[in-house]
Amino acid sequence: MSILGQTPATEIEAPISTFEGATSRPAQSYWNESWERLRENRIGVAAGVLILVLAAIAVAAPLFTQFLTHYEPSRLDLTATFQTPGHPHLLGTDELGRDTLTRLIYGGRVTLGVAFLTVALSLTLGTTVGLVAGYYGGWIDDVLMRIVDVVLSIPAIFLFILMSILFRPNPISLAMIIASVGWGGVARLVRGEVLSVKQRDFIMATRSIGARDLRLIVRHLLPNVLPVLIVAASLGVGQIILIEAALDFLGLGIQPPTASWGNMLTNAESYFFHSVWLVVFPGVTIFVTVLASNIFGNAVRDAFDPRLKAH
Amino acid sequence: MLAKYLVRRFLASIVVVLGVTAITLILMDRTRGTYVPGIDLNPALRPEDIARLRAGLGLDRPFYEWYLTWLWNVLHGDFGRSMIDGSPVLSHILDRLPNTLELTGTAILLGVLISIPLGVIGALRRGSKTDHALTVVSVAGFAVPQFWLGLLLILVFSVTFEQHGLPWLPSSGATSPVGGGDILDRIEHLVMPATVLSFFYLSLWSRFTRSSMLEVLSQDYIRTARAKGMAERRVVYLHGLRNAVIPLITLVGLELPGLVSGGLVVEVVFGWPGIGKLAFERALQYDYSTVMGIVFFATLLVVAGNLLADVLYAVLDPRIRYA
Repeated sequence: MSILGQTPATEIEAPISTFEGATSRPAQSYWNESWERLRENRIGVAAGVLILVLAAIAVAAPLFTQFLTHYEPSRLDLTATFQTPGHPHLLGTDELGRDTLTRLIYGGRVTLGVAFLTVALSLTLGTTVGLVAGYYGGWIDDVLMRIVDVVLSIPAIFLFILMSILFRPNPISLAMIIASVGWGGVARLVRGEVLSVKQRDFIMATRSIGARDLRLIVRHLLPNVLPVLIVAASLGVGQIILIEAALDFLGLGIQPPTASWGNMLTNAESYFFHSVWLVVFPGVTIFVTVLASNIFGNAVRDAFDPRLKAH
Repeated sequence: MLAKYLVRRFLASIVVVLGVTAITLILMDRTRGTYVPGIDLNPALRPEDIARLRAGLGLDRPFYEWYLTWLWNVLHGDFGRSMIDGSPVLSHILDRLPNTLELTGTAILLGVLISIPLGVIGALRRGSKTDHALTVVSVAGFAVPQFWLGLLLILVFSVTFEQHGLPWLPSSGATSPVGGGDILDRIEHLVMPATVLSFFYLSLWSRFTRSSMLEVLSQDYIRTARAKGMAERRVVYLHGLRNAVIPLITLVGLELPGLVSGGLVVEVVFGWPGIGKLAFERALQYDYSTVMGIVFFATLLVVAGNLLADVLYAVLDPRIRYA
């Protein structure tokens, strides 16, 4: 499964004929225009706000547990296992008497943290490789792109399994594991973009007044691939949450007793007969979060890269 | 031109396969260095026994040597023996392969058969309630964790249905352990995992068909066909759909490698005795000759799938040039 830069969804569109330039409206910066377009997309904005709220809850987790749920995420209470949702446990308790809502809030910290870190790592590495490959071309390009081919051809799930067994992941190493595949798509995307930007006159102009490679890449190429990166990042978050949740569920990601949305479902089968909410709540949380990320990602894509806009 | 292009793609594919297997082995080498499977379970083993066991499995050799030997053997059709039970890896893979192909093949087939009509309906009735409903379903399909969808299905159709005396679906395995194995039994077991798996494909491909169809229908040749007075039906299906489906073929081709690895999580959830589940279990047991075999096999499929997608695309759309 691909992760970043070539996320499935509507991103892979049929080729669409485009008209470059030639707008009759007054000149406005690209960023202003994109921002305007994004703001007009109400559903997209709502999804973005939801993500921000979830992130805020995750950051402020200790406050929530202190004032709302009154439990610690790993506090066992064997006299209160499998409590039904209600009072005093708003969303019930699990097989060790741990408060589900508290664990969901702390799980969000881990899950969202891993997702954002993974995106950041993938983008950094992928952009660097893509810029270098696209800018220098020749054998450097060949070698780097063959490496990307290899990375994108490894059945990712096997790689994740092997690396998880090897590294016994904590949130940071888990992000590195997922990013070790995720950067490939970004690199390919950035390289493609660089190849087209490189042809433009302003690059030659900049070079002819004596700008060095590094300056060209950082000051002139990077800003031009930024839109693609923003789109890839916002479309990638949801996919990464899904991958992370699946790994946690399989027992290969975040290890108990640390809560994550995925590993709260690891023992789900044993709850089927009496405590259905333990299966429902973490799953719904993942679903809603990924849904919001995808909707927001699509809105960002439509706003920043209108060429790709879905019909 | 095509031949030259294919040769180049083929050579690149070999590089990819070598790269993937080398990476896999380097990773496994880190774990195998100190470990012989099951050794911690046997307190009677002396250090020299352990050394002998390791030598027997070839674990005392440096990993590049092991890799070259392994590669040489694989090229001669010998995938080596499992480190857990000593039986040939290839027979393990071939044992499980039919189950995996049954599951993922059904899912992909269902996905294609359902997503194309849905995509066409969405495109023809763009902006209608049906279109919006289809969009919502497909957006949901991207966001739902497969393993959780599987759990929910089991919860509803196995557990709850059984509790209420309704006809329920088996939650695990590919056949019933007792008296199973006939076609009806297999289908009963197949329904839920195939549904979960195809739901994702469905979301992906119906969106794609829709936008591809919209794109094609706005082309000049469609306008020409209409202007000639051609029946709308003919315009849509003969000129529209045929062209709209071409890019979809690439997309389906790219999912072919998923035939082996794509169903891993679903296989684990539903206890489906396929290759994904085998790889998962054996990786946890450090049976790296089996894992290597499966990864090699899966990578071959990825590469073959990519190649096939390219070739099909080129054959079906003569406008494509090989640069």
